[in-house]
Amino acid sequence: MEGFSGALQLTDLNDFITPSQECIKPVKIERKPGKVGKIKIEDDGSYSSVTESGEVTRLQKAKITLNDCLACSGCITSAESVLITQQSQEELYKVLQENRRLQETGKGDQIKTVVVSVSPQSRASLAAKYKLSITDCAKRITGFFRRLGVHYVFDTTFARNFSLIESCHEFVRRYRDAETEKTSIPMLASACPGWICYAEKTHGSYILPYISTTKSPQQIMGSIVKDFLSGQIKKLPNQIYHVTVMPCYDKKLEASRSDFYNDLFKTRDVDCVLSSGEVEKMLLKEGISLADSEEAELDTPCFCAGEREELVSHSGGGSGGYLEHIIKFAARELFDQTLDTVEYKMLRNLDFQEVTLEVNGKPVLKMALAYGFRNIQNIVQKMKRGKCPYHFVEIMACPSGCNNGGGQIHPEDGENARDRLASVNELYNSVHCIDPHTVQGIEIMYKDWLGGHNSGKARQILHTQYHEVEKMANALAIKW
Amino acid sequence: MIDYSVTGYNIMLEPVCTLDGHQETVWCVAWNPSGTLLASSSSDKTIRIWGQEGDHWVCKSVLMEGHQRTIRSVAWSPCGNYLASASFDATTGIWSRKEGEFECIATLEGHENEVKSVAWAPSGSLLATCSRDKSVWIWEVTEDEEYECASVLSSHTQDVKYVTWHPTKEMLASCSYDDTIKLYKEEIDDWTCCNTLQSHQSTVWKVCFDKTGSRLLSCGDDKTLKIWQEYPPGNPEGVVTVGSDSAWKCVCTLSGYFNRTVYNVDWCHTSGLIATAGGDDAICVFREEECSDKNQPSFSLVTTVAKAHLQDVNCVAWNPKTPGLLASCSDDRHIKLWQITGL
Repeated sequence: MEGFSGALQLTDLNDFITPSQECIKPVKIERKPGKVGKIKIEDDGSYSSVTESGEVTRLQKAKITLNDCLACSGCITSAESVLITQQSQEELYKVLQENRRLQETGKGDQIKTVVVSVSPQSRASLAAKYKLSITDCAKRITGFFRRLGVHYVFDTTFARNFSLIESCHEFVRRYRDAETEKTSIPMLASACPGWICYAEKTHGSYILPYISTTKSPQQIMGSIVKDFLSGQIKKLPNQIYHVTVMPCYDKKLEASRSDFYNDLFKTRDVDCVLSSGEVEKMLLKEGISLADSEEAELDTPCFCAGEREELVSHSGGGSGGYLEHIIKFAARELFDQTLDTVEYKMLRNLDFQEVTLEVNGKPVLKMALAYGFRNIQNIVQKMKRGKCPYHFVEIMACPSGCNNGGGQIHPEDGENARDRLASVNELYNSVHCIDPHTVQGIEIMYKDWLGGHNSGKARQILHTQYHEVEKMANALAIKW
Repeated sequence: MIDYSVTGYNIMLEPVCTLDGHQETVWCVAWNPSGTLLASSSSDKTIRIWGQEGDHWVCKSVLMEGHQRTIRSVAWSPCGNYLASASFDATTGIWSRKEGEFECIATLEGHENEVKSVAWAPSGSLLATCSRDKSVWIWEVTEDEEYECASVLSSHTQDVKYVTWHPTKEMLASCSYDDTIKLYKEEIDDWTCCNTLQSHQSTVWKVCFDKTGSRLLSCGDDKTLKIWQEYPPGNPEGVVTVGSDSAWKCVCTLSGYFNRTVYNVDWCHTSGLIATAGGDDAICVFREEECSDKNQPSFSLVTTVAKAHLQDVNCVAWNPKTPGLLASCSDDRHIKLWQITGL
């Protein structure tokens, strides 16, 4: 469970804080009206019900899903096994194996299209581990997954274009609404699921309205794959198996949220989240080093652009650059200022930095980066006392941000964790940065797929909502 | 039970007075740095401040309405002008003393549940708290009296019972239901656990440093007291150390003196005496023997008060200025003051 962020560990995940609480989540049982019977335990440990007439029916096991756990304020320790069964490299292998079986038995039409979307932080972690340049690494990851039978390998940076654009517009809208809408400013970043989970479980209604409704890059990628790509390749959403590769385990919880489940097709926008470390395990299992894997050209979900895919990134650091994009955009939109460079001022520690936009010597916008649990605490407490001086805060649960996520590959024996992080950061920053607002393919997708900026579909596809988790006040649930 | 008459010492712990006022269990007693005031905290959700008027000890003030639940412990700032209170309501209160009156100036929130202990660093600019939520928090006091979270340490695997600072260095110690003691120091950008001390067989209730800070004293549910010695890098004894951190070794275990859990222990910085408080309602006093070897010290029991209180004794505290003046408190709602005689 060490892969989860500190904030999540603090909200009882992994039983980290309170002495172990037994799961008391009531399981819904479909009861059929009928006569009294007996329940028998079979030799193999399964349960059967025996009616008076002697009719034996095997009983189904009550299963707690990850979703049950997310909706409960108690422990989610038992979720560890759920996580492993629902979201692991084993699941991906199963799907690929099934595809092979279908192919061999002449049922090729039933094959699932397998899509892997790799986050830029995971790519940097793999590049650092296998001592590759970032482009080289991207091509080899693509080659590796293709060889296993994956159809498309995308980069979640593509989805982050949408996430950044929406965050910029959302900020400007909230800033303008601030006079009438008390909870619109400060806007708090929403890309980190560890932070979202902590806010929902611990701070509920007084923090949630401040959190940006913009979906994270992972979940926008989910929509692109299951809604846009499915249309392009003429598949139903449930005929596509979508895997993401992420720097942290908290992303598994994000993918499991009911907000990202399609009831109609009984499928998730992201079916399975693998951590960078789990991809390393796959490479070990296959017995190959990424450095020896074949190279393959990069894919793009945006066929319409017709460009050859080159690796691109966004400025503003390994956690996505939300602050940097928002302050630049807001400076232009709200104050008619062009901000070429963003100057960060370190506050209490390296994970708490501040940026101020001044117009005519007067500060007009103040934003902060707050990474790690201790800095989240200070922001939350400041907000509680009505003393938060910021307009936007880029909050991330992990100290040092996403490049230091709990799912990243561990340093080698004898290698300092700090040195490894430095090389991951360096590799991450080695990619050419683009302005999301000027990407041609994105604009085409806004127009053709979403029906324009701020259309009903754009709001529905690119935004989400948060849910307060009520605290359990049941002392009996606590195992002392 | 050990009778003081057989210990071979004439040292006795004589009762001075009993302080009544709390309506429920008294959990903690703490002397202010000048030794003139005693603060006590209770399940009755109040803090009482006691002081001397003439020859009598009286209740000077009652601090109410700061907490919703039991106040588990209180701690004075090194300057004596602030009092911090740790409560089961998951908050830590900061009280400012101005012209004899106390006012709650801040409530620190963040712990998930019961805060068990609070301690000020010797500089007065850092505060540590610990909780049943298994975490230890370090708070920094800003210039404008704001308290900001400087670190959240999740090294313990269970309920953290007590936190205390090194007397001179910025080093923190904590002890837990996970049977360990942990030491922390500030690294480049954050605090980290630099040492885990294992030897107790059960919950470690309290840990405290001696006057120099080169020794630690701990007590636990395993009915023992343990003395830990610091061995800095390059120590002549050849105790192995890692990097720039000292090693801490258990050099003495005092067992056989207690029938029940040892809840509390205090190491007097003026006399070197050790007082214990336990579930056997007794208070014991130990002293290091003369010519005791630093690497294998021996301590002897010098006096015991068998029925010091009617119920569990929760805390003992030596007055920092008056040698041999000890305060104790109990589930029996009483606070008692004692004086060592015959030293």
